[in-house]
Amino acid sequence: MPSIGAWLRRRAENVAAAMLAVMFAAFVVQIVFRYFFNLPTGWSSELTVIMWLWLVLWGAAFVVRESEAIRFDLLSGAAGRRTRIAIGIVTAAAVVILYGASLPATLAYVTFMKVEKTSYLKIRFDWLFSIYLMFAIAVIVRYLWILSHLLRGKEPDEDDPTKASSGL
Amino acid sequence: MNLATPFSLAVMAIVALSLLGLPIGHAMIAGSVLYLWLAGLDIGTAAEQLLNGMYSSYLLLAIPLFILAAEFMNSGSIMDRLLRFCNALVGRFRGGLAQVNVVQSIIFASMSGSALADAAGSGKMMQTLMTKDGKYTASFAAALSAASAVIGPILPPSIPLVLYALVSDTSIGYLFLGGVIPGLLMGMVQIAVIGFIARRRNFPVEPPVPLRDLPRVTWEAFPALMMPVILLGLLYSGVTTPTEAAAAAAAYALLVSALLYRSVSWRDVYNSLATSARVTISIGMLIAGALVFNYVITVENVPKSLAAMLKAYELSPLAFLLFTNVVLLLLGCVLEGTTILLIIVPVLLPTAQALGIDPVHFGVVAVVNIMIGLVTPPYGLLLFMMAMIAQVPHRAIVRDVMPFLAVMIGALALITIVPDLVLFLPRLLGYKG
Repeated sequence: MPSIGAWLRRRAENVAAAMLAVMFAAFVVQIVFRYFFNLPTGWSSELTVIMWLWLVLWGAAFVVRESEAIRFDLLSGAAGRRTRIAIGIVTAAAVVILYGASLPATLAYVTFMKVEKTSYLKIRFDWLFSIYLMFAIAVIVRYLWILSHLLRGKEPDEDDPTKASSGL
Repeated sequence: MNLATPFSLAVMAIVALSLLGLPIGHAMIAGSVLYLWLAGLDIGTAAEQLLNGMYSSYLLLAIPLFILAAEFMNSGSIMDRLLRFCNALVGRFRGGLAQVNVVQSIIFASMSGSALADAAGSGKMMQTLMTKDGKYTASFAAALSAASAVIGPILPPSIPLVLYALVSDTSIGYLFLGGVIPGLLMGMVQIAVIGFIARRRNFPVEPPVPLRDLPRVTWEAFPALMMPVILLGLLYSGVTTPTEAAAAAAAYALLVSALLYRSVSWRDVYNSLATSARVTISIGMLIAGALVFNYVITVENVPKSLAAMLKAYELSPLAFLLFTNVVLLLLGCVLEGTTILLIIVPVLLPTAQALGIDPVHFGVVAVVNIMIGLVTPPYGLLLFMMAMIAQVPHRAIVRDVMPFLAVMIGALALITIVPDLVLFLPRLLGYKG
């Protein structure tokens, strides 16, 4: 099981890197066309924004581990093993309940957006925004998984500050 | 104040969940959902705010591109050449390598918008160089790399200034210009501290690079040194938008590494993309959470209420700025900087505007402050990072970073009291503020 999980995570990272590459390439194309050929390309700015939205939500769902996310860990890091597990259970349960509670309304919003399309690429917004549903479901499943581990008495991940990526 | 309102319960939930170690982006989304739920509003608003906010903020795309540019720079041999150039310039002075560290950070800062990228890239390299043959203690080298990395996001380009531009609706071009003098000032006070410590602790001098070699070393580093010129040129000539300038910078870094220096493989390009994607995802989630929670803050009218409350105290603009500095420095000890910038600063902003404080000045002061927070114990991200890279105890770095911290806070006080240090360059180029 863990090897399949790791394999999937690597593939998810490939996809995320590809999205960033597409964003970067679209920008280069846009600059070249506008300033060298005087041809503005509306589709490219639309593509870059779509890639940004999808990259963040896709990555938060499937690529970045808890230990890499930006979080505050002084308290949980200093606590003992049993306390850490208890803390983990509380936070994971809160995430599952609150993301779960928002799911029906989110589905309603996303499907409602089918009436609109993007200006250049004519992508229906319900398709475009469906990444949020994917993200929310992935988060719920992930925290259910974490919860089941914690309930069986396994400790959460250790933190690695060199991997903490805040972008500042 | 009623503690059982939906808003205060949501804030308590967010604080509790983040204190308990939940990623802050998730905590803000979950807390906002709780607010919408308790207040009887449509819970789907959380998704709506997040999706529309992310989809419409074109300016934010500069962030992944600046991260990518820094990664491309770190992966090629650009860094080696820059280091040789800096060594030829200042290596001959007492504490030469320490001075190289700062000068190199200043140059790197004008190409990268991220302090953590600076520490992870050149900070790692400087650590090896400075501790080789026991020239400097590992903890001093690490503390210095952490302190000098702070300059990165103050000099343009700057990811935190992009975030500030987003929350404050201020021109990113003028903000970048406003960061130039404060950034150089930070570098200068660090150089002065090193000069002082170097004499007392008798730091070594590097063998001087003969002056006749200087043109060659400069020539080899020249394409890298041109990068800030190109970047700022594109930005201020109005040829490209700031976001496009960021893309051009990344493309330039990739071209220079790949074609001119021939030091980049496909593998390196992929690794740069993957690392940048991961950083983008982490910071993007925080932005996403902040977009949702800022909606809650707006619905609750928090910034206006705070402005009204502070108005009652009849603060002078300077007193308010000093108050802001103290609050942000204290928060910086326990909170991560992006969160402060995206949540706390927007709450303070209307008061600043009501008091007639210039938004560019306020933004640069806030960002310098938050950057200093990266090296403020106990929760300074750069301290943790360098402790890991240098394999030294956290408290040893904290001890050695103290003199740098002291002069940087001094510099912060100076730019707070003298707005012209920030506003001189923007005004020179047409800022009407």
